[in-house]
Amino acid sequence: MPRPGFVLEVDERTPPLIVHEGEGYRMQKFPLGTRVIYPPDALPGLRDLGAQIRHALLHPVGDSKPLPELLFAGMKLTIAVDDISLPLPPMVTPDIRQRILEHVIELAARAGVEDLEIVVATALHRRMTAEEIRRMVGERVYRSFWPKALYNLDAEDTANMTIVGQTDQGETVQMHTRSATSDLIVYVNINLVAMDGGWKSTAIGLAGYESLKHHHNVNTMLHSKSYMDPRPGHSAINDSTTRMGHVLRDKGVKIFQIESTLNSETFPSQLSFLNKREWEWSAKDQAVMMAAKKGNDLAPPRVRREFFRRIEAPYKVTGINAGEVEEVHRRTLENLHRQQLVEVRGQADIAIFGIPYVGPYNVNSILNPILVHCLGLGYLFNMYRNQPIVREGGVSILYHPVPWEFHTIHHPSYIDFFEEVLADTTDPKEIEARYEERYARDPWYVHLYRTSHAYHGVHPFYMWYWGAHGRDHSGDVIFVGGEPKSVARLGYRRADSLRDALEMAKDTVGSSPKITYFHAPPIMIADVR
Amino acid sequence: MGARSELREMARGFRWGRRPMVPRSAEPYAEEAFDEGFPTDWARTEVGIAARQTILNGVMHPLVRSQVSMRVYGLDNLADVRGPVLFYSNHSSHLDATLIMSTLPDRFQRKTAVGAARDYFFDVWWRQAFTALVYGAFPIDRAKGGRGSIDKARELVRAGWSIVVFPEGTRSMDGHMQRFRHGSSRLALELNIGLVPIAIVGAFQAMPKGKWWPREGRPVVTVRYGRPLYPDQGETHQQLSLRMQHAVSLLFDEDRTTWWASLQHAERDETPSLLGSPGPAWRRAWEGSRPVPRRGRPRAWE
Amino acid sequence: MTTLALEFFRSAPRYVGARTIGAKAPGLIAGPLAPIRLVNRKDPEPPKGRPGWARVRPLLSGICGSDIATISGRTSFYFSPLVSLPFVPGHEVIGELLDDCEDLNAGTRVVLSSVLACAARGEDPPCPNCAKGATNRCDRVTVGHLKPGLQTGYCSETSGGWARQMIAHRSQLWAVPEGMDDRSALLLEPFADAIHAALRANPQPGDSVLIVGAGTVGILTLLALKLLAQPGHVIVAAKHQRQRAAARMAGADEVVHPPHAAKAVRRHTSAVKLTPERGQDFLLGGVDIAIESVGSKGALDLALRTTKAGGKVVMSGIPGPGADLTPLWFRELELVGAYTTGLESLPDGTEKPTFQLAIELASALPVLADMVGATYPLDRWREALDHAMSAGKLGTFKVAFAPQD
Repeated sequence: MPRPGFVLEVDERTPPLIVHEGEGYRMQKFPLGTRVIYPPDALPGLRDLGAQIRHALLHPVGDSKPLPELLFAGMKLTIAVDDISLPLPPMVTPDIRQRILEHVIELAARAGVEDLEIVVATALHRRMTAEEIRRMVGERVYRSFWPKALYNLDAEDTANMTIVGQTDQGETVQMHTRSATSDLIVYVNINLVAMDGGWKSTAIGLAGYESLKHHHNVNTMLHSKSYMDPRPGHSAINDSTTRMGHVLRDKGVKIFQIESTLNSETFPSQLSFLNKREWEWSAKDQAVMMAAKKGNDLAPPRVRREFFRRIEAPYKVTGINAGEVEEVHRRTLENLHRQQLVEVRGQADIAIFGIPYVGPYNVNSILNPILVHCLGLGYLFNMYRNQPIVREGGVSILYHPVPWEFHTIHHPSYIDFFEEVLADTTDPKEIEARYEERYARDPWYVHLYRTSHAYHGVHPFYMWYWGAHGRDHSGDVIFVGGEPKSVARLGYRRADSLRDALEMAKDTVGSSPKITYFHAPPIMIADVR
Repeated sequence: MGARSELREMARGFRWGRRPMVPRSAEPYAEEAFDEGFPTDWARTEVGIAARQTILNGVMHPLVRSQVSMRVYGLDNLADVRGPVLFYSNHSSHLDATLIMSTLPDRFQRKTAVGAARDYFFDVWWRQAFTALVYGAFPIDRAKGGRGSIDKARELVRAGWSIVVFPEGTRSMDGHMQRFRHGSSRLALELNIGLVPIAIVGAFQAMPKGKWWPREGRPVVTVRYGRPLYPDQGETHQQLSLRMQHAVSLLFDEDRTTWWASLQHAERDETPSLLGSPGPAWRRAWEGSRPVPRRGRPRAWE
Repeated sequence: MTTLALEFFRSAPRYVGARTIGAKAPGLIAGPLAPIRLVNRKDPEPPKGRPGWARVRPLLSGICGSDIATISGRTSFYFSPLVSLPFVPGHEVIGELLDDCEDLNAGTRVVLSSVLACAARGEDPPCPNCAKGATNRCDRVTVGHLKPGLQTGYCSETSGGWARQMIAHRSQLWAVPEGMDDRSALLLEPFADAIHAALRANPQPGDSVLIVGAGTVGILTLLALKLLAQPGHVIVAAKHQRQRAAARMAGADEVVHPPHAAKAVRRHTSAVKLTPERGQDFLLGGVDIAIESVGSKGALDLALRTTKAGGKVVMSGIPGPGADLTPLWFRELELVGAYTTGLESLPDGTEKPTFQLAIELASALPVLADMVGATYPLDRWREALDHAMSAGKLGTFKVAFAPQD
């Protein structure tokens, strides 16, 4: 019987607890009275996944016909797939997308479809490599479609991007031309966090800068409290995306949405202690933890990076829903909340987050300082509903070494952003006003985005905005263990240990603050009342 | 943080050498799963079986034979029995499990597990290891109605293992048989397996509760196997338990008199009850400890 | 019939083991070195033909410092004729009567005053102490129609609290008031002991007091002192954070770490502090009354060395060996023992049994129930003992068995 998530209060019987810090972790003894939010136990996966997928395709939800009835010979069919930013860590093959794709393509083949293209919905993310795509879609699909009919979206290819329309708030809706003009788009999604799925899949995944700038901006971010809470009125970005989605729908773009949810079995069996509550560690778990930690601490950085890069999550699928976008997404969110929601009473003066080694934008790559900011003050901070874990003006303490390190191929615009823009100012509004346009239109970045494997020139800006709400809400941000120069460039403070960080935090929250530690990964959402 | 202080924090925080604790606020969510405390399946692997048989046949059996005069009867009842069965007997001594395990025919001995009280045999690691190894034992939860123990027993029987249980639940204090608990009859009914009754006569006299070594003089101990019982269609567990008790009483009667006489007694409903008369404690203990008569020629010095 | 019980049995190797390596590896004392076993014991029967006995079903039974000391082999051989082996430990009991017992009906919840005095042993006429109502001073605890045993919990015939069934005599039973929950009732016995200890100190208004130790005994003694007397400045020396917090809440004027206790007393009483070449610092001057509730050599030394000349030192728990009695002689101190409960003379001239006083005062103390930090079923006794042995460090006050679970 999987147990629900709960809030632990650290007492004399509590052992030291795991805190992730990039490519490593530490055992931290927390002060007595610290509250620690624990995620629910992993839900069991669906039995007979193949049958479940088939069932979902044949019995769609919402106003939608079963998939076989939507397929016919002579049609123009586009299948769009979530890119490498999901899931995190990458899941053990076969990826759920592979399994769903194989079912969909089988049905398409039987219906006599010939004009079929599969597009990886990267929006302004980097192009996936052939190897990465092959791992995601499987050998059969890869060999049948790559490279002509299976490709990454090129959002800067103006010839192949159309303006579909405008929302009533003046937001441009731009989309991949082929997708927009297909008889049907089948979207294959993985809903890892509450922000994914729904209209985001098509209205953002298949869009370009002209659309994105309407919601990927500071104002929208500051009014998304939080963007992991897609209820109307809570997340400005979700509201905007929904408006755009409705434009697509009203303009006749037909979408058959397939969404999947995963359980929280994040770490493989060799690291199973990371999935368990510390006081439930057996002697073997403790031994494995210490050996792994020692090995990790002593390993050279390259070995360490490779070890973490190879981690594959043994995720199990907890639900598959298909059909009309909004109805599908409603059910997806139900499944997701069942696995991830934890009730928390009251806010804290200090929130502590341990930043893991991987986020959506550094799979097979490097977590540079800007991405650390995004993962910490963006994603982790926003894993809440109703209220942030920390009170307004409180202190956010984050654990990460924040090395001054960038991946030159994946993140070229980030390097310039860090060296030029952040050296000047760290204020998101200032940055948006003075620098965004230039980076977004810079032909060199566009070239790298289109032909290399680089994130779009504007992407570091989005990363900066992503943490705008967290940054704005916190009175102070302190990194434990961060490299002084990089942390300073980000505009934050740093300390060597938690004790020092708490000492520094006294200036903001006094000497007996309420502390809450968000014990993630595994991923969860704190429902703060 | 230095390696030594890290280690010290781990040792203190995780209470090495002491029992693990659950933080107060996590108690409502603590797992109440039936924990075997110490897994015993290792003792039922090929290696474990080989080791066990060596110990039983090479050490325990000769040792017991040197301390008591052991007689075994009724093994021919097992000649046609196939598949897992539930062996059960009266329980009055620590000798009982050894007597049964070391007298079983080889094909049963290698695939039989003894059910042993969790609170007694599985509380410290070395007792657990010893019991698991020598008797292929699995834990029975005496205290809480033993839900989890039934699960384990079921799992073993389904895997083809026979099991030995002592339905009295504990050793007799005065040599008389106590009322049978219903766990074994319930299990036999559920899995529809045979029950082999065993009467162990003289063990209480030789090594009663409280003693860890047989008394001097090579007392006589008899192990009598009976004909297997099979659960009837529609039988309740109470009825089956009574039948089980009766079967052992029959074997005791046979031991005291003869097989023919015991059958006649049974026909006439005259099998002496082993539960003993409800009299004063000294009478029961007196009756229960009456020495078992030696068979055969009396020795010169008796 | 038999029921589940924890039994303390004689085991020379365990005794030796516990005394030698027990200090270094305390985990072993709750493990293989514990002379305790879980057995199906024959149900205890009231002595034949003797009236006033009844069977009791323990609902909660506490683990006391003296139980831990007995199991770790740290108690004096003095006790050996005062117990009968094997016995079922457990003298802090709140249970349910299974039989009618004189004026108490079956089903009544009762707490046990564990001393097996003349009344329970059928000694008639009673010894002079029992006749005066001071049953804790009974001289006949080894005779009569029961096996030797100073208390239930040390007698092989009565069983004890750490079992599913025990027997008790009417003279030992006090009915639990309606509306008092089991956990508060469990604390009644230690609370009564604490009241007795506080009154043995005979505190005068304005007396300065040092209480050494803020475990269950220390805190209850502090509460008793505050309720029954008007002490002046009260200092509590406590090792662990949660104990210090509890002492503050219970009304201590000053709460300190034990190494700083002498300094604290010195400051308050303007005494002269002297440092011997070996041993603890001591004062010429000090508190009027010191109450030692830890039971260790260091604690008794502290108490003796920080009490003013002519002052009183009360020992409320089984003492550990080895304390230096020089200050007792040199400063003309009164060393007073406080053992369980008896009859108290109150300031207004009346006399009341300590237990009755405890029951009356307990209704005003909701905090008592919170002192029970954890309960364990009998088959998890090793965890229970392990927890009780580190209770202070783990922030727990009282650990108890819930034998019916």
